[in-house]
Amino acid sequence: MSVLALSFGFGLITASVLALAAVGVSLQFGVTNYVNFAYGEFLTIGVYVAWTLSHGLHLNIYLSLMLATLSVGVFALLLDRFLLRPFAKRGAPLLFLLVVTFGLSLFLSNLILAIWGPNFKSLDFAPEMPYKFGPFLFTTSQLSIIGIAVVAMTALHVLLTRTEIGKAMRAMSDSVDLAQISGIDIDRITSFTWLLSGCLAGLAGIVLAINITSFQPSFGGEFLFVIFSAVILGGIGSPYGAMLGALVIGLATEMSAVLINSAYKNDVAFALLILTLLLRPQGIIRMAGKA
Amino acid sequence: MSPYVYYISTLVVFFFIFAISTWGLNLQFGTAGILNFTYITFFAIGGYFTGVSMLGRPDALSNMRYILGLSLPFPIALLIGATAAGILGLLVGLVALRRLRSDYLAIVTVSVGAIVYDFVNVNTAVFNGADGIAGVPFPFNDSLNLDPNTYTFFYVGLAGLFALVLGILAARIYNSPLGRTLRAIREDADVASAFGKDSYRFRMIVMVVGCIYAGIAGGLLVGFISAFNTGGWTVGETFLLYAALLVGGRGNNWGALLGAFLVPVLFQEATRFLPVIPGHPELIPAIRNMIVGGLLIAVLWIRPEGILPERKAKFHGVYTPKRKAALKVD
Repeated sequence: MSVLALSFGFGLITASVLALAAVGVSLQFGVTNYVNFAYGEFLTIGVYVAWTLSHGLHLNIYLSLMLATLSVGVFALLLDRFLLRPFAKRGAPLLFLLVVTFGLSLFLSNLILAIWGPNFKSLDFAPEMPYKFGPFLFTTSQLSIIGIAVVAMTALHVLLTRTEIGKAMRAMSDSVDLAQISGIDIDRITSFTWLLSGCLAGLAGIVLAINITSFQPSFGGEFLFVIFSAVILGGIGSPYGAMLGALVIGLATEMSAVLINSAYKNDVAFALLILTLLLRPQGIIRMAGKA
Repeated sequence: MSPYVYYISTLVVFFFIFAISTWGLNLQFGTAGILNFTYITFFAIGGYFTGVSMLGRPDALSNMRYILGLSLPFPIALLIGATAAGILGLLVGLVALRRLRSDYLAIVTVSVGAIVYDFVNVNTAVFNGADGIAGVPFPFNDSLNLDPNTYTFFYVGLAGLFALVLGILAARIYNSPLGRTLRAIREDADVASAFGKDSYRFRMIVMVVGCIYAGIAGGLLVGFISAFNTGGWTVGETFLLYAALLVGGRGNNWGALLGAFLVPVLFQEATRFLPVIPGHPELIPAIRNMIVGGLLIAVLWIRPEGILPERKAKFHGVYTPKRKAALKVD
């Protein structure tokens, strides 16, 4: 039983990483209404920038992490502003936008490979002793991952329910046309959403790298469909659904590693994705017009 | 025989194989608007099953592990490969085609690609992992007994025959009522449904047929190079085919043919001559993939219809008996 409890603890950490990433996908999908297949590379860019800042420029590790997170946000904003939005404004069909983001993922993953090389790298944290919390064992960095996710999700909840910009994002997610005729500046909200989505991706990439201790150029892309599983399970377009989906996928993948075999972790996420699409394609939290 | 003739005939075989793949992708993406982001997986499944059906029982002394090992002749092996690719296409379609939004299908295909790739790489005891299979016997050569050079000429003919038949079939499908229905569904699934067309069924048909095209192309490749491993079916390969189709002209089978020549054959060969930077063997493939990704985005921006655009259907009016008579008078 204690092994299962331990894996439940690991599940919580994976769920925290997933939640950050999945909410970023879901927010951006809600506002722009297309899936960004280059999102996995956003995670990778985040961790490589953090690595360069802390190893190459010898900045303080925490400052590096913050700057890296922000830089992915800015990168996502620019990408939308100068590449994706012009396509969308031209009235390019959904198929084209998806091909563009997928082409972008190929471009970015190979750019990362060309710049940083194929070898495994890791962010340096001193080796830690795990603490015992009831039946769980956590290291300080694992606890901080959970802490970061909880703080980020709470902040996001406040943003979406208490602030004007958050409410405008939710309005756009319901209907872009209605939001526009209500006087919402949809360009500004779209830019802000990409900034936020990019920051969440950068942060998710960094905490993922801390969690699994090493990374290489394809690490974000390989994690992408686990993120998608969480997003679809929760209900695509719904940030709260994404959090819920992340929790389910995180716990299911880690606990299955004990029950079945850790080599099949991803297959469990995949099986849940297939089951969702067959049984409840709209996800746990249904968003009108998104499925 | 001069090495140039040998080199050119090898390229011609690759061109035919790429043409078949691009036509299959055109059936899915160009005609029906099905976004299959892991087309190369179906190509790989076709190639793998063709290969292992032709190989004999796994030799206990060698380290190569694989399933089947049936020592079958090439035509039956190719049939098995094509069927395997078609069945995987059917399974993917069963899950993803019910939803009308393209995003879902694209997400499922990306996931299937990642899962199958992992599965083959991890289960080294069953599929030989990243080393793949090698030593597949050359199709028909046990009775032909040709030397390698002459055999290449023979294979040009064999692949050409397949390309001819599958090309004509693709054109027939495009112009048939099935093709018209698919294009109608691509343009507006709701309108097509309102006219009583079951979009799920029609998209499923073309999903499976497109995957069979990929499977045949994969089988032909394995028959030619007699080996196959997972390094040859990464995401970049799918993109090479998308780039070919979009450059040539999606929805146009001649465009697909032109694209198959311009992008995978001409572009791939041209970049072979780029200098390799010492110590960075991954740099040239990375730059090549960046160019493919960039090319794809550039084409969609500059000329989304491709070099040879899809011809718009012309409406000649409804041929009622009365109108027919009137036209004859004119």
